[in-house]
Formats: sequence, C-alpha cells, structure tokens
Amino acid sequence: MSSAEQLVEGLKLLVDEGKVKTDRDSLVTFGKDWTKIYEPTPLAIVFPKSTAQVQAIVKFANENRIGLVPSGGRTGLSAGAVATNGEIVVAFDSMNQILELNENDRTVKCQAGVITQQLQDYAEDNGLYYPVDFASAGSSQLGGNLSTNAGGIKVIRYGMSRDWVAGLTVVTGKGDVIELNKDLAKNNTGYDLRHLFIGAEGTLGFITEATMKLTRKPSDLTVLVLGLPDISNTMDVLQAFQQKIDLTAYEFFSHQAMQHVLRHSDISAPFESEAPYYALLEFEAVSDQVMDDAMAIFESCVEKGWVVDGVISQSETQANNLWRLREGISESISVHTPYKNDISVVVSKVPAFLNEINEVVTNHYPDFEIIWFGHIGDGNLHLNILKPADLPKEAFFAKCQQVNKWVFDIVEKYRGSISAEHGVGLVKKDYLEYTRSAVEIEYLRGIKRVFDPNNIMNPGKVIDL
Amino acid sequence: MKVLVAVKRVIDYNVKVRVKPDNTGVDLTNVKMAMNPFCEIAVEEAVRLKEKGVATEIVVVSIGPKAAQEQIRTALALGADRGIHVETDEEIQSLAAAKLLKAVVDKEQPSLVILGKQSIDNDNNQTGQMLAALAGYPQGTFASEVSVDGDKVKVTREIDGGLMTVSLNLPAIVTTDLRLNEPRYASLPNIMKAKKKPLESTTPADLGVDVTPRLTTLKVEAPAQRQAGIKVADVAELVDKLKNEAKVI
Repeated sequence: MSSAEQLVEGLKLLVDEGKVKTDRDSLVTFGKDWTKIYEPTPLAIVFPKSTAQVQAIVKFANENRIGLVPSGGRTGLSAGAVATNGEIVVAFDSMNQILELNENDRTVKCQAGVITQQLQDYAEDNGLYYPVDFASAGSSQLGGNLSTNAGGIKVIRYGMSRDWVAGLTVVTGKGDVIELNKDLAKNNTGYDLRHLFIGAEGTLGFITEATMKLTRKPSDLTVLVLGLPDISNTMDVLQAFQQKIDLTAYEFFSHQAMQHVLRHSDISAPFESEAPYYALLEFEAVSDQVMDDAMAIFESCVEKGWVVDGVISQSETQANNLWRLREGISESISVHTPYKNDISVVVSKVPAFLNEINEVVTNHYPDFEIIWFGHIGDGNLHLNILKPADLPKEAFFAKCQQVNKWVFDIVEKYRGSISAEHGVGLVKKDYLEYTRSAVEIEYLRGIKRVFDPNNIMNPGKVIDL
Repeated sequence: MKVLVAVKRVIDYNVKVRVKPDNTGVDLTNVKMAMNPFCEIAVEEAVRLKEKGVATEIVVVSIGPKAAQEQIRTALALGADRGIHVETDEEIQSLAAAKLLKAVVDKEQPSLVILGKQSIDNDNNQTGQMLAALAGYPQGTFASEVSVDGDKVKVTREIDGGLMTVSLNLPAIVTTDLRLNEPRYASLPNIMKAKKKPLESTTPADLGVDVTPRLTTLKVEAPAQRQAGIKVADVAELVDKLKNEAKVI
C-alpha cells in the first residue's frame, strides 16, 4: 500500500494538470451529497475528462486497492456519493459535453457530467424534449441520474430515467470499457447489461457516456390543483381522470406541506377553501375537447364528494406557480432538519398504507409534525418528519431510527419498496432486506463480484460484500 | 358603480420569444398565449372592488382575434359579469385601441376604467393615457393602491424615488402597476359558471373606428447574444483583464 502522498502523485499523472484536488474545501464539497449525516473524508478529488481517463483511474485504483466514489451533481439523498473512508472521489464535472445529436434516431449522446437541465434545454433548442424532470434538475448530472435511476415528477407518463437510455459506455470495476446496447431500439441478444448499471450507484462500474432518447415536446401543459377532503379518494380521482386524459403528472401534498411553502415563499394558496390534501394534475390541453372532459370529470368528482375545490392554470406563469406549491416543499422544510423517507407501494394500496404509517407515528410521537407529499400517481410517497424545535438533533434522529423500523415493517407488509427513487447508498443499506429477500441479495453480491472483484467501486454502498 | 376592464391577449410571459427569420416581427405560430399580466392585475382590482361592495358590475373588454375570447372567459371566471369582444385580425396599435375603448366607454358609461399600464408584447404604455385624453377623463397611472370614496378615486402612483397620491373625480381611468395586488387563480367552479355569462361580439366597423396602423415596423431583431464568461486563474489576471481589456480600472 502506497502512502497518501504517493497515491495523489500517481493520480496526477492520469489526468490533466490541476485536475486533482486535495484542499480542505474541495474534499468537503465533493466528498458528500445532499445528505448531511456523514462526515466526508476523501483522500483526493479527481476530475477526469474522458472515458480513457476514467479507465486509467479505475486501473490505478485496482493496482493500489483504493476505493473510488463517483460524484455527480451531489443532490443524492441516500449518501450514495459520500466518501467516508479515505476513498478517491471521481467527480464528473469536467465531463459535461453533449457529444452528438441524431435527429433521425431522436437520440443525443452525452458525457456523464452533463447537467439534467442542460440536456433538457439542448433538446428543446432542437425541437425535442427530454422528459425526466425533478426539483434538482438544475444541479443533478446525467451519470448520477442513471446510477440512481432517478424518477421525478413525470414518471406517470414518461417513466424513470432507465426508460430513456438507448446505450451506455461504462468502465467496469475491472477497468474494462464496454459499450452497452449500441443505442439500438431492438437488440435481443441475451442479458441486457445496460440495466444492471442503471440504478447500481456506481458499485459495478462508472457510466461515462450515455445515449439518451428524446421525444416530442408536450404542448399546452395545463395544471390543475384540487382540494381533497380524504386521502382515500385520491386514487378514485386519479382513476376518473385517467379514463379520459393522459396525465403527465399526478402529485399530492398535505395541507401542512403547503403551509410551509406559503410561509417560505411569495406564492399564494390556490384557493380559499382548505383541504387536508391536495392533488396536482398536469396534462396537455391540446383541444377544447380535453378541457371539456377535464371540467366534466371535475364536476363529477365534486358531486361524489371526492373533491371540494380546484383551480386551473390560465398561463404558463400560473402553471409554474402551481408547480412551486409542490416543488418548493423540500426546500421549505429543510430548516426543520427533517427525517426523510422515500417509499412506494402499488398505487391501489397508497391510502391504506399512508394511514397506517400516520397512525403509528402519531400514536408514539404525537409532537412530531408529519409532512406528506409525493408522486402518488406512481405509488411513490415522500414521508418527512420535522424535528420539534426543542428536541436536540441526536435525540430526534435516535427516535427516527425507531420510526424507520415501523415504517419499513409496514412497507414490507404492503410489499412495497424502502427506496422508490432515492437509491440505497449508505442510508438504506441496512434495510434492504425489507424489500429484497436474502436469496436475492446474495445474487446481487455475485454480480458485484463479477464486475468489481477487488471491491473498488463505491465500496460499502447498496450492499456489503 | 360600473367598472370597465380592458384585457389583452399576448404571448405568455414564460415563452422564449423568437423573432421571425425575415425580421418582420415575432413568431406567433404555436406559441402559448395568455392574458397580459398587468391586465390580470386590473381584473383582480375590479373584482376586489366588487367584493368590497364598491363596484356593482364588471364589464370586461378585449380587442383582438377570435381566440381573445379565451382571455375574456378567464376574466369572467375571475369574477367579471359580462364580456365584450371587439373582433379583429388587424394589427391594433395603441391609438386604435384607445379609440375602440373610447367607443365602448361611450356605450357603457362606466364610472371607472381599469387597464394594465402596458402590455408585455409591445411595452408601449400608451393606451390608458390616450383613452383618458379621448374620453376627457382624469387618469391615475401606475397605480399601486386604489380606493374609491364617494365620487372620487384615490390612486397611489409609483414614481421615481417614492409614491404620489392623486385624487380623481369619477369617471376616471386607472392603469395598474405590478404591486397593486396579487391576482388569484381561476377556480374550476367559476370557470364553469363563466361559460354561462354573456359575451357580446362587435367589430371596429360596428364601433365606427378606423384601425389602420399609423406606424410601420421597419425591422424586429433579437437582442445581441451575450458572450460567455471566462474563468481567471488568479487575482493578478483578473486585475490585468479589468485594466487592459475591460479598461474599467
């Protein structure tokens, strides 16, 4: 084992000048993601600019038996990109080139460090559309999106990041560069390794380039916000709309969640009447027929008592402001050091599942404020519990460990997932068995050993060897 | 008291505006249109006056193509009582708009006319003032506060370096500034009710107004592209560039 200085000097030979950083600021900035629980202690940060440089770094790490942690936009919420153990952080910030647009294939080839919004804007400038979108799109990078199979707010219509990948270039843990799927629409030639690397959080290898599919830009996106008197009706409302209209989003948030956004920003409530829950729907209002259908469905939902009030955007500005009611929640509650959980069940079980968790938490900790929101159209709920102001952080998180156990027991009972779209990282690793069986996890380990025999790639994340 | 509100259909505030390749104007094909934001504020102010019991009827008027009825329907959903659509596919310049509105004012005899201070498409800021001159009404422009008291309306105006409050005899013209109020959303129940509210259609010819443009647009160009920024290695290089390239120090 070489000394730290020797390792850093060796690393400097592999990349361009000035692309290895060891100053305190860089180590802290690039050594962690949005989770603030773990102390980052990386050895160095390296900024490769090509697949070849990434390959050289991986080979170097194998020779020296030192772990590598990938770092993208650092907006992850499961500590998948946190270096807590003297690893080298491979930051993709210098791999931010959009390489090639193919208009006939409707694909675009990008380096892994391309920022999500950069890709969205590029697509729009070329009359196309990249539909995967979420609150952190302005910071998150494509490589990170794919390594966590990011979902977001349009999954109901467009699916997850996984669904938009035509091809990948990856550097495996053994240091091999392989091209996966060659951007083909049809390619039934055995195992599709592309999908192993998507969502693997860099534990099998690093994605260095991706060819992403693009689509037609939706037109006249219109937003409805509805007030719901009872959570159990949200799925009836969803079903009523889906029978006639292709929704591009179906989100929900609680009244408490909205109160935090209103206090935190300059936007106003959608309507005067209060409801315990709100649903946000988005669809393409391409014709008067669609609008008439939406109105008729709204009317029948009101008659049935599922909906108490509602508004509809009359301009893009209003549509954006209505979206802010939903997208501003995370930011507005962050001052309360929230315990966060990202869980999912099949759509039909959402109301019962949510009520059961509510009951357990409020019974044991009546002073905890529970904030619910999420992509309810996909069965994905974000549970947030705010720290009471007078409770010390340590005591709060200790209690939340107990909450975790209850929540995950309920997740297991409802055959749900302990991580719907945030990944596993360090945060959820110990709870993987609530969603994946012991036998299955053993197969995951087997796959990890094939691609990364020396346990170099993001060691200790997702599973332990 | 009857209040007349004028609203204009314009390119949605959030749309990235593109200039036509031949530089004759802005490309409007398949572009999202919406109510001018200052007009939204005008409608909101009228609705608030009605909620306070000051206004008894709100009439909303829009000049423009058939599709401008969408914006009238929006205003009706927000609380206006009836609509007047002056239908025309011609380009309507400020003076023509003011003359058409004057004709509507003559017919409706409102006590108060509320308009946006300008529309975000052409940014002229003329129609309200021209209408005041044509109708012989007093005007309170750039309003950030409006209160009606008997036969007078008090208008607080945003001016350079402060606020000016004027008192106008009714009937009067008020044009709205951004801080006057925050417009509400159109609620779905009100949108459905708005479908049954009366909307009368007329034309410039019916109103006896010649809308022939007085101004010719020579050329429309997009603003110059901003140069990308650069990163400097250290303070010395920054100072050097400020001194020798930018010549600001």
